[in-house]
Formats: sequence, C-alpha cells, structure tokens
Amino acid sequence: MNSERLLVDAGTSYTKILRLGSGERSILRAKDAKTLLADKNVVAATGHLIPGGEMLKVNELVALAEGGMALIGEPDFTLLDCGARDVKYVKVSGRRVVGMDWNTECGAFTGQVIELLARYFEVDPTAVPRGVEKIPVVCGVLGMTNMFDLISQGVTHETAFGRFLRGIAFNCERLVGRPGKIFLSGGLCENAPFLESFSCEAVPLGRHVLLEGLKRIYERENGA
Amino acid sequence: MIVGIVGVPPWETMQDYLRRGAKIIDLDEPVNGFPVRDIYLPATFCRVLKRVVSNIYSLHEAGRLDMVLATVGECKCDGMRNIALRIRATSGIPIETVKNDNMVGAGYPVCRSSLPPARKMELIVSSVFAPLPRDVIVEECEPVCGFWGVPPADFSIMSLFPDRTHIYGWTRCMENKTPADLDLECVVDPGVPTVFFAQSFCQKNALAYNLAKEHGGLFVEVDKALTRSARAKIEAFLQFNIPGGGTL
Repeated sequence: MNSERLLVDAGTSYTKILRLGSGERSILRAKDAKTLLADKNVVAATGHLIPGGEMLKVNELVALAEGGMALIGEPDFTLLDCGARDVKYVKVSGRRVVGMDWNTECGAFTGQVIELLARYFEVDPTAVPRGVEKIPVVCGVLGMTNMFDLISQGVTHETAFGRFLRGIAFNCERLVGRPGKIFLSGGLCENAPFLESFSCEAVPLGRHVLLEGLKRIYERENGA
Repeated sequence: MIVGIVGVPPWETMQDYLRRGAKIIDLDEPVNGFPVRDIYLPATFCRVLKRVVSNIYSLHEAGRLDMVLATVGECKCDGMRNIALRIRATSGIPIETVKNDNMVGAGYPVCRSSLPPARKMELIVSSVFAPLPRDVIVEECEPVCGFWGVPPADFSIMSLFPDRTHIYGWTRCMENKTPADLDLECVVDPGVPTVFFAQSFCQKNALAYNLAKEHGGLFVEVDKALTRSARAKIEAFLQFNIPGGGTL
C-alpha cells in the first residue's frame, strides 16, 4: 500500500482528495474512485460513498461545519453545501452550530439535476440571462415540467434554464431561512449562472470545504 | 377469536375482549411471514397505515384474524376512519370502530426512563393492551436528548439515540393511555435537543415541523426505511447538541 496519507470526501458524483503531505488536491469521478483508491492509504473520509475499511469516518454535516470554521472568519454565518444528490447546511452563531438541516429525500435542487439539464440542452452558461423570474421547483420533476412548458411556449432554452436556476436558488435560500449572506460549498460554486441566481449575497468557497473540515478533525484527533 | 387492534382502543374495551377469551394482536406492527402488500392505498400514504391494511387482508385470508377493533377520531389520524369505511363496505371483515377520548393519565415512566430507546419503544407499543412485564425496572433519568413522535415504521431509527433519551409526542400519549391528548402530545422539555419525527404523508408532520422550529429541534420525516442521509442528519444533530458529543 502507498504510504502517502489521503483524506477523501466521497461524494455521489465526484470524489475529492487531499494529500496530507503535499497539500495537493484532486478530483476523481466517483465511479472510478473505488478502484483508484483501493491500494491507497486513506486515513480519513467523509461523504455519501464513504469507503469501507479502517479509517476515521466523519459525518458530512460535521465536516461541513468544521470546514466553515476553518475557512470563514466571521462569528456568525450560514454555509450551504450544494451536492450532486442533496443539499445541506449549517448555521453558526458565535462560532457554535445552532442550526442544521439536510434535504434527505429529494434531489430537487441539487447539482446533479442542474448538470444533467445543462448537458442535455447543451446550454451555454454565458448565454443564460440573469435576473429572470423564477419558476416554482416544488420537486425536480415538476420543475423540469415547468421548464419544458416554457420552452414549448417559445421561451429560449437558456432563459427557461435560467428561470429554473432561479427557482432552485430560491429553494436553497428558503431552506436556510433567507439570511442576507450565504456561503456556498460544492461543485455548484463553479457555476456562475447559479451563483447569480441568488437574491442575497452568495459567497462561493469551492469544492473542498468538507476536506478542510476533515483535515481539521483528523489533525485534532491525531494531536497535530 | 383473534381481534386485531389499530391504534390505541379504550383499555376497558380491550380488557373486555380479553376476558371473553379473545387473543389480541397489534395490526400496526410487522407480522412475521406477512410482508406488506402495497396495493390497497395510494403510493403517497402513511407507511404505518399501509402496513395496517395489508395486515388486515393478509391475516384474514390466512384465517388468523376474526375482527378488527380500529380507533378513529381524535385519538388517531383521520386516515383510519376512511380506511375502516372502505373495508366495511368492500370486504366481509368485521370491523368495529371506536374512539378513545380518555383523558385520565396513567403516567409515562417508560418515556422518562433511562432504558435504551429501542427497548422503550417496544415496551410502550406492547403495553397498549397489557401491563408492563413485572421484571422491567423503570428508573427516571434526566434527559440528554429527546425523540418526539409516533412509533416509527422502522424502529431502527431508535438505535441512533443514546440511553437517557426521553420520548415525547404521541408515543408518550400512548403510554399515558390518552391518545387524544393533543396538549400532552405537544409537550417537550425546553433546552433538551429533540428530534421531531413523523412518518412521511402523516398529518403529524404539521406538528413535528412547527414544534421543531419553535424549539430549535430537528424535523425528520421518513417513509419506509431510514435512509442513509436521514440517519447521518440525526447523528450530526445529536453530535452537535449533546454535551460532550460535539466536535466544535
């Protein structure tokens, strides 16, 4: 087994990896990760597809909260992780977690749906109009139905997609209690039209927030 | 005669059947060898009532159920009132509907005890028509956290909670023999981190959702089996909120 110690955030679509020695980060497709990590020294992991075996295993919400503490200096903040299959958040006041939730059942407003639609329609992100009216996304399927209705009425694919994104951003804001500012984690941090769909300030922290939290926990557990 | 009960019928009614030699079985509970046939109710319906209806038809077909004693009214959700009407109209299964408006509390020592939460739930459910076993020692404790709700379709949720978890909500009303006591159902201990649980598609979600907001608890709804995400959410909530159990 390779002796280099790895920390792993095993998401549904992507696996994020941090090499403890070099601090190097990488991302693998989840379907390839199991094979590629089989002979590696994974010392700590979090995420939906957390691997088996002996290692420190950390709950995703705990890793998210710790990551927020590591990356955000403010005493009070709301941090929302938009993953491929679910959305979860922590609310921190005075550097203590005072609220949290996780949409455990339905992937209505998650990265996977957005990525699937963008690919299916070959939407150019730069052509998605900003500031359009939202469509209700009660659930992913009903949201897509509304989007297809708009297209059938002659609305461009980019505009319909933009309105769908606005609906998803609205759901996210409502989930976290509509604060004035939301810190974002996850792959959707790299999706400019999504970031601009929020009606409040949205601060992207990138895809490695859970890894930062995992690192903090691992180092604390191991006296670093 | 085998009488199947649904919900918490009046104690005296059940004792009367027992005195007449009847055997009582709880139709809310899983029955070995009789998997739930999900063909009698819409897909989006309470998992516990799906089990009840399936048990009624399956056990009756197998000759292991002679009649149903079903609670309807404020002591139960409205679902059973509608289901009972249809079973009576479309099958030959005798069904007696009763209301349990008892407001004289029998106490809820098991809910407030230090017993493991899964054991508490089993004891409360099995004490609907029979006293607690004599060898059960019930000692009151201070709660470290709380579980609010009905007995879940999937009892494995209870394994997530530590000893000294107090039980609130309709389960507490069950133990108290006052299933229609909405005031008691809404009682929680302020400051005790509590998970407010309801079965998906159950009217109790209205209580669970709003009580969780009011008390800073965690609202959780589960349909059939506990999902990995729901499990992780509860684990994180307990880790954040139980003194000494958090990492932050």
